[in-house]
Amino acid sequence: MKEILDFRPDFAEYLRDESRKTGTAQSISFPETEEEVRAILRAVCGRKLPVTIQGSRTGLAGAAVPPGGHILNLSRMNRVLGMEQAGDRFLLRVQPGLILSQLRKGLEERSFSTQGWSPEERQVYTRFCRAPEQFFPTDPTETSASLGGMAACNASGARSFRYGAARNHIRGLRMVLADGDVLALSRGQFTAQGRKLRLTTLGGRRLEVLLPTYRMPETKNASGYYAADDMDAVDFLVGSDGTLGAITELTLELLPLPPVIWGVSCFFAREEQAVAFVRKAREQVAFLAALEYFDRGALDILRREKEQSTAFAGLPRLPEPEKAGACVYAEFHCEAEDEALEALYHLGRVLEEAGGSEEETWVARTPLDREQLQFFRHAVPESVNRWIDERRRTEPSLTKLAADMSVPDDCLEQVVALYREGLARYGLESAIWGHIGNNHLHVNILPRNREDYQKGKELYRQWAGQITRMGGAVSAEHGVGKLKAEYLEVMYGPAHIREMIRAKEAFDPDFLLGRGNLFPPPEVKGEQPEVKGEPLEMPGGKPEAKANAQESEANAPAACSRGDTADR
Amino acid sequence: MRILVCVKQVPSGTQVRLDPETRTMIRDARQSVLNPFDAYAVEEAVRIKERLGGQVTVLSMGIPSTERLLRDTMARGADEGILLSDRAFAGADTLATSYTLAEGIRRLGDFSLILCGRMAVDGDTAQIGPELAEQLGIPHVTEVCRIVSLDEREAVVAREAEGVRRTLAVPLPALFTVSREINQPRLPSLAGIRRAAQGSVQVWGASELQTDPERTGLAGSPTKVVETYVPEREQECRWITGTAAEQAAEVLRVWKERKP
Amino acid sequence: MTKGTGKQSEENGLLIDRQRCVGCGICASACPFGGISVQNGTAETNAACTLCGTCVELCPAEALSIRREEQKADDGHRDIWVFAELAGEEQLAPVVRELLGKGRQLADARGCRLAAVLLGGAGSFREAELISLGADLVYLCRDASLADPLEQPYAQVLAGMVEQFRPEVFLFGATSFGRSLAPRLAARLGTGLTADCTELAMGEDGLLRQTRPAFGGNLMATILCPARRPQMATVRPGVFAPAAPDPNRSGRVRAFPLPSLSSGIRVREQVQLPPVESIAGAPVLVVAGRGIGSRKNLALVQEFARRMGAAWGCSRPLVDAGWCEHAHQVGQTGCSVAPRLLISLGVSGAVQHLAGIRRAETVVAVNTDPQAPIFQVSQYGIQGDCVEILREWLRQLG
Repeated sequence: MKEILDFRPDFAEYLRDESRKTGTAQSISFPETEEEVRAILRAVCGRKLPVTIQGSRTGLAGAAVPPGGHILNLSRMNRVLGMEQAGDRFLLRVQPGLILSQLRKGLEERSFSTQGWSPEERQVYTRFCRAPEQFFPTDPTETSASLGGMAACNASGARSFRYGAARNHIRGLRMVLADGDVLALSRGQFTAQGRKLRLTTLGGRRLEVLLPTYRMPETKNASGYYAADDMDAVDFLVGSDGTLGAITELTLELLPLPPVIWGVSCFFAREEQAVAFVRKAREQVAFLAALEYFDRGALDILRREKEQSTAFAGLPRLPEPEKAGACVYAEFHCEAEDEALEALYHLGRVLEEAGGSEEETWVARTPLDREQLQFFRHAVPESVNRWIDERRRTEPSLTKLAADMSVPDDCLEQVVALYREGLARYGLESAIWGHIGNNHLHVNILPRNREDYQKGKELYRQWAGQITRMGGAVSAEHGVGKLKAEYLEVMYGPAHIREMIRAKEAFDPDFLLGRGNLFPPPEVKGEQPEVKGEPLEMPGGKPEAKANAQESEANAPAACSRGDTADR
Repeated sequence: MRILVCVKQVPSGTQVRLDPETRTMIRDARQSVLNPFDAYAVEEAVRIKERLGGQVTVLSMGIPSTERLLRDTMARGADEGILLSDRAFAGADTLATSYTLAEGIRRLGDFSLILCGRMAVDGDTAQIGPELAEQLGIPHVTEVCRIVSLDEREAVVAREAEGVRRTLAVPLPALFTVSREINQPRLPSLAGIRRAAQGSVQVWGASELQTDPERTGLAGSPTKVVETYVPEREQECRWITGTAAEQAAEVLRVWKERKP
Repeated sequence: MTKGTGKQSEENGLLIDRQRCVGCGICASACPFGGISVQNGTAETNAACTLCGTCVELCPAEALSIRREEQKADDGHRDIWVFAELAGEEQLAPVVRELLGKGRQLADARGCRLAAVLLGGAGSFREAELISLGADLVYLCRDASLADPLEQPYAQVLAGMVEQFRPEVFLFGATSFGRSLAPRLAARLGTGLTADCTELAMGEDGLLRQTRPAFGGNLMATILCPARRPQMATVRPGVFAPAAPDPNRSGRVRAFPLPSLSSGIRVREQVQLPPVESIAGAPVLVVAGRGIGSRKNLALVQEFARRMGAAWGCSRPLVDAGWCEHAHQVGQTGCSVAPRLLISLGVSGAVQHLAGIRRAETVVAVNTDPQAPIFQVSQYGIQGDCVEILREWLRQLG
């Protein structure tokens, strides 16, 4: 069996993820095969230790931050296991630790190690190499995300405007449960009857899962378990945030890469113009695969970073602030250049009608230009993080507060107004960007001090309620993890949270896996999480463990809401 | 000021793929693109025009579809495109190419400045610039990282190479190849793309240029490619063993081999 | 294939037998240059064809062939020349030793003399050294007006020498100056030039087989210059073994009179640049990670980098720990780098870090854990304590 290593100080990086929260752990393992994962889980869960499953720790919701216990780190399970063909589609079997950028590189160069593949799979590989270029459409900004992590939080990103979230591109998966047994599922194999799902493990054990009964919002959504009548079991496991088992294999469905991919960044003087443009463009313009937004706050930070940091000196030069107070990035995926050109010209007309100018646009039609625009888009979150890191030097307890909420199409203007009103009322600095085509904006509050931080948290709680009333989702793509568990409760209410817990218990009766993700563990079971250093916010966790009295106060409503007295 | 920029169409990406069964090369149907280094030359020419006034002409030798590329440079601010395209130009090495380009330039008339990219990413030769300058009998400077000053008679340019920065005064007309450090190329605007669609691209063949058939294409190329192959890549990490002293010495040997 | 079996393309040397061609398209998909495509059911070549022959070998219908006129150079050319480039005013550039080492082998294979060509200002007395390094003969043009290495006057002098003494082969280092001067001279002489060769071999017919990487090193091409002389090539520095000096060797020196030079470019200023300013463009980079143990060992890293003429960077944990500034951080969230050589010390290799060093040409890694991901992207690995190796390097570098 792969070694279970005692936790040493040099493993410190495994206590945190991109949420920049830090937890604790007693042991860690780095398995390379499913067999090893099974042995480790049998050993660790046999001792009733909680287990946190990690990929490449790029998550923003703290799902990979351990609350004590064992860390099952899957980053060394990064092989491509094989390839199948289903109709005209290629299906790729990968281990969960494979990094998105490695997958992309392999697809682009059509180069995977076929060691250990069957002769049939090698034949498929040959056809794959000769076929037009394929791609995996899920496009979270962070390309060092692991595929397992992307499945666990049902990642999406810019191109989900056209292609939907990761769930749509996962044909099957294997998952090791807490007792070491394995679920091997492919689409169509197990479907629920109504809200009752029956599964059989490879060990022959039957699981009966009563699915939560809520109706999910009709928006982009990564909040809590996916549940619908007569659903496929694969859809339930994708997006389960590491709470049901450890994914050890994914079958990804690839799509042929569109021959023509063009991107356009459109600058507007004012936010209303950009929003009006988005509404019209998504109704009228053909072939759009993404519509992304960057507000004045985000553009200002970029301007500053371009001046000050060598890493961002290569950014294209932005138009002057009066001309560029907002930016919308649109991406076309087409079969031929002439149809792309027609769509581009149409977009230009819509843009001018909305008050923009065709002169203030960047059109990327070549790989190099696209790389420039991609660099630009990626630079936004990077530079905001740097900005926050800067502030943390004087006030180490600050973190970025990032909302990840989505609403239905007809609420776009309403939600933008909601964000602006709240930010103005509390006088907070912010940068907003994200997937405006899906009415899914990341509102990033940049607290200057402790007080701002508290105000921001309060504002998010208010928004969670208002977004829910608009029929939206409190987490559209980052997953709920530990940081947003309290908003999940706002969104679904305690009864539905109990249903989720009941569903989890069908897989993990001792409540050992992903403890603290989605919802707090029932108090009687398991050990209390232990938190050191920077407080790990765990609703319903341990208020007394918080380093800071204010912090526990801030979490009090969520802690209370574990009872039936939630304020609704 | 009349400025000429020479550009080349290259395959998109330099990755060479092998068919897993036949072990032969698979060429992607991916579109061809402007040689990335040439974008810096186009940008520099457009910036000079914006500063001093004048006209930017972009010249390329290539297959007819290269016209698309010339229009793309016009979307980025160039004024006109000239394409030298003829079956007679096929199979040209750098000598025959520079001769053909020189004939195209002679037909276009006098230019104060000729700009080229540092090299083309498909051939990596970096020879066209100096060979073209010699064919035209004008001075050249390679890898210019900054144009310090410029008027109709003289350019002062800086180049950095091998740890030395030289500032050179160059009488015009002259040819410069530019390095990536010289600027940050702009992206075309939608308005620029509309303008470029209206702009003119002329195509000239051997009869328009009245080129010497012995100096163009295959016949005019002294070098012949006799073999191409995909090198075997060593993927594995080679472990350096021995005492610390031996290990250190081996790394220093690698350093001496690889340092520029 | 016999003549008259269909219309063949005569203009370029790739012949297509249209009666045999089945239009399968294998040639088109195999051509690395996009020089052939299938139109209306048969293959057609275009101007991008370089006559590399890839398609000829693959054609299942044997419909393709290459016609090469058997051209022969006139045989009045002798000897192998190398250009003795100076680094600064008085030193030989390091590549000259390598050129002489390879040139000696080629000259011995051909049974001819090896000559070095030295141009320079008044202080450029390197003839004896060139002879000790294997030159049988040194052609010399020394004059104050040649103190600055400038392409136009140098090409003028060299062209005069070539026309008078008629070498068969003329090699240059693929240095910045060599790659600027050699094409100027080749165009002046109307001969072929192969850039940046990494392999050279002498054929029995006196044809120099010149092999070079193209497509960013993803494709190798072997090139001949059958009919024109001299056969010219620039040679990548650091590839061939340098010649060992033998002070007992003897050779002749032949001075060449300075022709009247057309004046052109003037050097206004020449400044030695400080070693390396930014890690992004550094050709050699030393990167430290958590494995260096303590903050004070960072001084060893910096000293090592200084002596190597390298820039130094670090992985994210060192920035997080406050040991280094963010400007030094290598990786996706710091600076992406593309050095020719990266020496990685005690870096385990988080994916974000690996993404940031993806474009490094050669990676040498030192780490105590042989399973560390950094070794997956390294060409050379040392399993061991990087501080110990660091001390050893500093000792050996003196």
